[in-house]
Amino acid sequence: MIIKALTIAISLSLIGFLYQFFSFIKTNKTFDKKKWRMKNLSIKSFSLNSILQTKLFKAGKIRWLMHLLVASGFLYLVIFHALDDVTSSYWFQYYQPTVDPFQFLRNLAGIFVLIGCVGFLCRRLFFFKKLKKRKIQFKGLFSILLILSIILSGFLLEAVKIISEPVFMEMVEEYSDIDEGTDLVDLKIYWEKNYNAVFNEPLLITPEKLAIGKELNENFCIDCHSPIKSAFISKSIAKALKKPSIWLNYHRIDNLLYYVHYFLCLLIIVSLPFSRLFHIFLIPVASLEKNLKKEQLDQTLGYINTATLYACTNCGFCSDVCSVFPNFLITKNINTLPHAKIESFKKLMNSAPVESKALYMLQSGNGECTYCHKCTDICPSGIDLQNLWVLLNQKLSLKGYQDNYTFINNLSLEKWAKLAPEKEKTSSTQGKTTQLADNVDSFENCIQCTICTNVCPVVEHDIDGNDYTPQQVLNLLRLGKKHLATGTRMVWNCLTCFSCQESCPQGIKVADIMIELRNNGNLRADALKLENFTKAT
Amino acid sequence: MKFAYFPGCKIPFELKEYGDSFEAIMKKLEVRLIDLPFNCCGYPSKNKNLEISVLSSIRNLALAEQQGLDLITPCKCCYGQFKHAIYFWNNRTDLRIKINKTLKNEGLSWKGETQIKHLLSFLYNDFGLLKLKHKITKPFSNEKIVVQYGCHALRPFSITGFDDPFAPKIFEALVNIIGLKNLEWSKSTECCGNPIYETNKKLSLKMLGSKLKTASETGAAYICNACTHCQIQYNFMVMEQELKKFQITPVLFTQILGKAMGLTKNELGIINTDLFNF
Repeated sequence: MIIKALTIAISLSLIGFLYQFFSFIKTNKTFDKKKWRMKNLSIKSFSLNSILQTKLFKAGKIRWLMHLLVASGFLYLVIFHALDDVTSSYWFQYYQPTVDPFQFLRNLAGIFVLIGCVGFLCRRLFFFKKLKKRKIQFKGLFSILLILSIILSGFLLEAVKIISEPVFMEMVEEYSDIDEGTDLVDLKIYWEKNYNAVFNEPLLITPEKLAIGKELNENFCIDCHSPIKSAFISKSIAKALKKPSIWLNYHRIDNLLYYVHYFLCLLIIVSLPFSRLFHIFLIPVASLEKNLKKEQLDQTLGYINTATLYACTNCGFCSDVCSVFPNFLITKNINTLPHAKIESFKKLMNSAPVESKALYMLQSGNGECTYCHKCTDICPSGIDLQNLWVLLNQKLSLKGYQDNYTFINNLSLEKWAKLAPEKEKTSSTQGKTTQLADNVDSFENCIQCTICTNVCPVVEHDIDGNDYTPQQVLNLLRLGKKHLATGTRMVWNCLTCFSCQESCPQGIKVADIMIELRNNGNLRADALKLENFTKAT
Repeated sequence: MKFAYFPGCKIPFELKEYGDSFEAIMKKLEVRLIDLPFNCCGYPSKNKNLEISVLSSIRNLALAEQQGLDLITPCKCCYGQFKHAIYFWNNRTDLRIKINKTLKNEGLSWKGETQIKHLLSFLYNDFGLLKLKHKITKPFSNEKIVVQYGCHALRPFSITGFDDPFAPKIFEALVNIIGLKNLEWSKSTECCGNPIYETNKKLSLKMLGSKLKTASETGAAYICNACTHCQIQYNFMVMEQELKKFQITPVLFTQILGKAMGLTKNELGIINTDLFNF
């Protein structure tokens, strides 16, 4: 039955792998029908990052250590313990699970994984709250708790077996020719004293009986049973379980625990292609691809390797170093930060319906990116994140989510002036505002001398493209037509080179006003877009 | 001397050679550069939201102040943004209160003591021309060059305090002591067009084209930049194959200074070996 369950689990897992593989192939297509070109491959970063997790080491030493503890411990347990029928017993003639060094190493590996998992959990419990930018994800928590329960059930199983009388009796029957009688009692006494076994009968310990027990032990048991002290964790648990031992032995809890332990292992196999642990296979894929250089940026534009999207483990290093983190502090748009953007990107690629408001937030957040490459540099999974943001922008603009410049440029000026968002705040005229464009003092001294227009490089090179000159924009303000001014081409094409401001004989802060008008225009365009998209959903 | 080094967002990916050569010459001048976990200076956000842009700058300044360091940046847009942010922080009380509150949530605060230096203003005002001259071992032989001042450091003078906005002299003086011959160029202080490259590429390149035309008319062989965004803008022109028409090469000030100080092309991140006959 156990073999059957294992076969079913592995088949399910394989089906999952194939499903994921084909869904990656399906979504791996170009947005704009360009031919796919393979990226340059790097064997070095592939091997270093897959085996030693070098990028994680660079990003954070403690987290690297925790990760290495779990990875190395779990890998040891899978190879030498879970697969011992085909590995350990084949490689080592004297192999028995209860023989040193295997007994000791199993405990050591278990404690490695345990420490690492507790570290993972602590980080989620204490540090996620502190930064307020992270949420605990179900996927990550599931994998951690699954691994944790496998290890704990393993330790418990070993402990319960140590104290188990029925297991002892089975072993005696199978591996010795001791009959019921004094010999058996002597061996029991020896085992109670040295192997922490617990028996449901009063045993009188005398030196003679112990000596006989020792001899019997040497005859029948010692070849397969190293001293109990090497199972340093299970031994301590066994000591703690001494009191309820009768109940445990009576109900054969050891069998139950064996099935629990086994079932959890099957669960991890089945869930592998869909859980966070899938990163074991996807990070090598992502690390194999070299990060793009600036000269190559155009080459792969439009093509996305979905597998690299899923290599993300949501570790959050990218958001810790993100250059536009202060933008998030003000806008509170979580899609400004890479770790959230990549989650939204996955949803977008899954072709599942996504709310248009959510996409608007994604466009707005991604628009803040300064392409500083910090996220790509630090990403422990080796994902070329920056390239993903370029692609995300492209994908969103193909879907009709434009930046504000394009949005306003596509509207006529009259239409823009009429389109007022419903909840627009009317600026107060109480003089309390620090906004220059709302404060008459800041522009009333304009004498329309046209010096600002004459020095403006935008006016010089784009005579037809601009509807208003700087001086005319100021005049719009004087006429109280700020809503018109915020949509003028002049405001949006302004270089912010401050030539006008420096040359103004009246000391008017022309460029500062331009920037402020663009700020206001952005605010209004954002509100309008948000309104449209909220209506659409 | 010791500074907190603020590379800005564009150097690590788009203009790595500027960062490399800047670090190389600073090492040669025995200036220690300290890397801090900086964020964006706030220059790109200036167009969207004043509060974000000022917060970004002040957050960086607070980080530097924690270490008791002044900031140095090779980028003029970053420099101008910092100066602007300090101006707004000083002059708009409501904004300052808001920003201080946001910073406090992160356990940061800024008292207003951090100084901002640009590479050029540092060399000219703090390091000193005479001292710099001693470091130059391989001066150029009178090659003709024009300089691009970069608007965000230059204007408005009342805020940036960089140099005379109408007749600047710092850059020329620095170029001249390397042995290059600086030529008068009418568009030396005009904008390169980079701020609107992403939104209005056509207009942006048209501006640069007219700049290049007048620059080549002066007979110069190089245009010297000391700003990340200006150099990136000129590099776009290299990609568009426009520059060949004008027979003029954009170069980074740090690279020519580095060459004059005897640094190798690897240290300076120069790939194109034709540049200054390396």
